[in-house]
Amino acid sequence: MSSRPDCPSCGDERAAGAAFCESCGKPLATGAGRAVGHDCPSCGAAGAVGDDGYCGTCGLLAARPRDHVEADAGPVAAAVTDRGRRHHRNEDAMWLAARGAELDVVVCDGVSSSFDPDVASEIAAEVTGKALITATAELPESIAAAIVAAGAAVAALATTGDPRRAASNPACTIVAACVRGTEIGYGWVGDSRGYWVPVEGDAVQLTEDDSWATHAISLGADPQSAWNDAKAHAITAWLGADAGTIRPRTGAFFAETPGHLVLCSDGLWNYLTEPAAFADTVRDALRGSASLLEAGRKLVDFANAAGGSDNITVALVPLNTLDS
Amino acid sequence: MPYTAEAFQNEFLALGATEVNAIVTVEQSGAEGERRTAGATEIIIVDCSGSMQAEGRMAAARQAAKAAVNCIDDGVRFAIIAGVSTAQQLFPAPGQLAVATAETRAQAVGAIDRLQANGGTAMGAWLKLAGQLFAQRPGDIAHAILLTDGENGEYKGYLEGVLQELGGTFTCDCRGVGTNWTVSELRKIAAAMLGTVDIVARPQDLAAAFEQMMTAAMGKTSADVQLKVWTPVNATVRFVKQVEPQVADLTGKRVEDGPRAGRYPLGAWGAESRDYHICVDVTPGAAGDEMLAARVSVVEGDTVLAQTLVRAVWTEDAALSTRINRQVAHYTGQAELADAIQAGIEARKAGDDRTATLKFGRAAQLAHESGNKATEELLATVVEIEDAATGTVRLRRKVEAADEMALDTRSTKTVRVGRSS
Repeated sequence: MSSRPDCPSCGDERAAGAAFCESCGKPLATGAGRAVGHDCPSCGAAGAVGDDGYCGTCGLLAARPRDHVEADAGPVAAAVTDRGRRHHRNEDAMWLAARGAELDVVVCDGVSSSFDPDVASEIAAEVTGKALITATAELPESIAAAIVAAGAAVAALATTGDPRRAASNPACTIVAACVRGTEIGYGWVGDSRGYWVPVEGDAVQLTEDDSWATHAISLGADPQSAWNDAKAHAITAWLGADAGTIRPRTGAFFAETPGHLVLCSDGLWNYLTEPAAFADTVRDALRGSASLLEAGRKLVDFANAAGGSDNITVALVPLNTLDS
Repeated sequence: MPYTAEAFQNEFLALGATEVNAIVTVEQSGAEGERRTAGATEIIIVDCSGSMQAEGRMAAARQAAKAAVNCIDDGVRFAIIAGVSTAQQLFPAPGQLAVATAETRAQAVGAIDRLQANGGTAMGAWLKLAGQLFAQRPGDIAHAILLTDGENGEYKGYLEGVLQELGGTFTCDCRGVGTNWTVSELRKIAAAMLGTVDIVARPQDLAAAFEQMMTAAMGKTSADVQLKVWTPVNATVRFVKQVEPQVADLTGKRVEDGPRAGRYPLGAWGAESRDYHICVDVTPGAAGDEMLAARVSVVEGDTVLAQTLVRAVWTEDAALSTRINRQVAHYTGQAELADAIQAGIEARKAGDDRTATLKFGRAAQLAHESGNKATEELLATVVEIEDAATGTVRLRRKVEAADEMALDTRSTKTVRVGRSS
């Protein structure tokens, strides 16, 4: 990459490796940009998709800016978020910022039953990401503080903007991680997950879902039947005005062996509930790809091929590998 | 140009629904000490027919014309037409436009003293002469004031032909003095020329009315602003109506502008805000589909001053699709109010008291609900409102002609959402 584009929103120069503008937090590449000038997927009119994402012939929306977003920090990290096949918009959001040996990554998933969940996830990712840039405390402590700040920002949405937000306040899940050298800190609220996928050996699911199924299994329920229960994915903790006190769970470890830190929303892990199956799929995607971004796209394609029943977000951060 | 355009709508439609409604508010803030982007030309047309001698109307008209002339800014072109059976230019020399200075305004005031009432009424000819004078200044903000006290005396169809020819070339505000003129006739002129119509029942109020019209005209900074509406293939624009400050249907004034787009003339603009109701019929989408039902741009020539989007999103969620947008509901009611009043007046004239009572009753209800107090008060001069909430009214046996004409001309006046109690 010879030159990096400046942020299209605020014009600030892009920091090294940052896939989001560190000044305004907006993604530097969006999915609508890929659709502009293309044929309309609805009516087929040639090159009819306009700058605002609507077809210039039939008027149908061909792409929203958040339908498919990619964050590419070259060999340092990559993240991809996608609308999936069943939802009409992407309510997941992500943040990826790399500064030398420091890297912050955040994945949020809007709660579909709330109003404006896409706004909740966007603001949560942004507030957390920005707080992590200047964090100085121990990693788990910094991450917890950043998530609590995001929780306050999401809760505040209920009393601003559309009055319907008051009746069904915007809400989302969050998983955030910081890499400082070989130390990895992470924290979460809800059921968006973090994994450590070593090049060899067993994968580790770093996070424990705040969900009904996880709760039931921890109380001794049969995992199979718990996951098949209609309530399985009901989350028991989230960010939002009705969430009460936000108590993020956190952790940290030193990556001694080569591997990948993977954050994702349930749009991906839902098709790979077991860490072993998850690790196999991630390793397959990495093995057959020339870049991290391509591997990220393959994982999104995998979830879409499996049904794409939810929005899909995945972030890949290699550690101790030849590339990194 | 500090123009803004904002759409208010419920974008959610039930499956199979095809009608998309939105209220678009267009505003020019007038910040930054707005200057006119074009020159301006003003023409004052004063009816000098014989009937103007009655009730001191001619003297009042002279005074009003003088008051208007004194409101014209320096540098603005102007002329005065004396309307009789033909159109006669009173000032300056025939075929000329004066440039406003202290001197030319004084000369015009002197000329106005020569206005005499003796002749017929030929509005078509008057407007035609005004059109010829305006044609000398293409691109100017072109505005005329037309004062009359009677019915047009030209053969049937002549005025309509002139309006057809001149529509959109200048704005014309029409005022009727006394009660011997016809509301529908002046409304026809005002509608074609994008102007206003009102009654000045008492001649002594003419000067204030003229001053107010001329001051408003001097506040215009853009000559020819248009609303450009793009709609998708297989969509049709059902109507485009101005709904604030008064109801005016612009649907028939559409001029095609490229594929799937048309322009609707809005006339001259100053620091002001107007609301438009746009209704588009589209082909229905599937659940979750989002369609751009209209891209609405405020344009002057090729310059896009502001733009807003009217969207349609189909949903299975009835809680979303049945939600009523306040702005759309309010202005739909205001348009119905104007229609109900005009239908009531017509029915009353035709001796159909039953229909008149029903229509006025509905009007009283709508005026009350929407907080349109001015219209409610005008209605009360024509009917006794027993219970506005249920629309129970009784026709008054004796109604002043001026009151009924005031109700008729001002029936299209609307109020904004939120002014209601």
